[in-house]
Amino acid sequence: MKNIILLVCNTNLKIVNGGSKLSSLDAYFMHEVANTPRGRGVLVCIQCGRCTSSCPVARVIDEHNPRKLMEMIILGLRPEVILGALPWYCLSCFTCLDRCPQGGDVGEAMFAIRNLAVREGNVPKGILVQAQSLFESGRVVTPSRTALINREKYGLGKEPAVDVEAVQKILRKTSFDKLISRGS
Amino acid sequence: MKYAFFLGCLIPAREPNYENSVRKIAPELGIELVEMEGANCCAPFSVQSVDYASWLALAARNLCIAEEMGLDILTLCNDCYESLLMTNMILKEDKQTRKKVNEILADVGLKFKGKTNVKIFSDALYEDVGLEKLKNAIKEPFNGLRVAVQPGCHLTKPKRIHFGQWMGITALEELVEATGARSIAYERKEACCGGPLRGVNDEVAMHVAKQKLDGMKVAGVDCIVTVCPFCYLELDMGQLEIKRHLKEEYNLPVLHFAELLRMAMGIKLEDWEIRAHKIPITKILNMKEAK
Repeated sequence: MKNIILLVCNTNLKIVNGGSKLSSLDAYFMHEVANTPRGRGVLVCIQCGRCTSSCPVARVIDEHNPRKLMEMIILGLRPEVILGALPWYCLSCFTCLDRCPQGGDVGEAMFAIRNLAVREGNVPKGILVQAQSLFESGRVVTPSRTALINREKYGLGKEPAVDVEAVQKILRKTSFDKLISRGS
Repeated sequence: MKYAFFLGCLIPAREPNYENSVRKIAPELGIELVEMEGANCCAPFSVQSVDYASWLALAARNLCIAEEMGLDILTLCNDCYESLLMTNMILKEDKQTRKKVNEILADVGLKFKGKTNVKIFSDALYEDVGLEKLKNAIKEPFNGLRVAVQPGCHLTKPKRIHFGQWMGITALEELVEATGARSIAYERKEACCGGPLRGVNDEVAMHVAKQKLDGMKVAGVDCIVTVCPFCYLELDMGQLEIKRHLKEEYNLPVLHFAELLRMAMGIKLEDWEIRAHKIPITKILNMKEAK
């Protein structure tokens, strides 16, 4: 029985990763993801591939494949998942969430993986810029000077003010500021 | 009808034409918009990608502000809608998480009580204003303008947070048809516009948008109508980018639903609002005048 399992694992690894050694696998990784608030879906994944077939990104590029990503998590390929580009292809359109026959929440699990990736310094620049802007101004997108001048010209008045102090208080308490400084 | 008006980040920064149209329509339909003092970013998917607790706490802060006002939230953006709606659901159902979030919020003197609801603009029009009242307000209906409705993902997805609250894309289509336009069926109507990957992976975003535009082109529509500011940017500005990089030209004007409704109500767009569209909307304006 054990041999069969090893054989299946090895075959899968060849497909997934060009043949990693079994000893390099992190058996706990699946549970590490599942124990985060949005990662429970990995426990119920049956590898049917409906997420991939409904994914708009998987339609346009081969690299992104949610089913494969789930498989990599289940097999325990921690560095390949956490340090790779795969989790950052997701659009969060939640089509897979609605279609998963297991209620597996693949789209939600993406956030769980991203949260782990950020803690290891793997953040795309676009996300980091938005996160920094959030900490500094309380908004992920800030208006340009011209936009501000135009608002008043168009009779829309001043832009509604954000209580930046409160935002920073919250983000310091959740260590958000430290997280994003790790990624930059 | 009185709402706590949640404007978000993107609309005041990039799409004042959307905001202006909503502010023009609202009083005509008996909607009162009350500004939310000091409200912060809704914490969209980019923030959710970084940290779970930060997302919930920031979104909950906005919900608390609305609770103190004693009003339901009205948002104009699909991403704000998703973030606030999901946070509201999680905190209402999960007592443990609520306790944790309230500990964070205590520092800024707030407490989540679960007394507010979140509505998106089209949702409020359909359920609170109603089609009957809306139809009465239409003074210059569009005569069979062929419209590709772009609902945007988070108007209906994920189903579990919208169940019982929203009748789906058909409601938006009914609203569009109330203006005298026709909602045309096209391939991949429910699919994502690619906007969320803008700034993270521009090339993928562009290809995803192209898929949608291809479907619309085949269906032969006059324009695209959306309720989401991200879809608007991606499909409007995205067309220029697709033209430059993929050598494909669509020339499909993109309108916010609020703008379509406003024109049908007989409130003319101002010059700066017409110029705000990257793909010229003069075709639509001319069609309207010619009628």
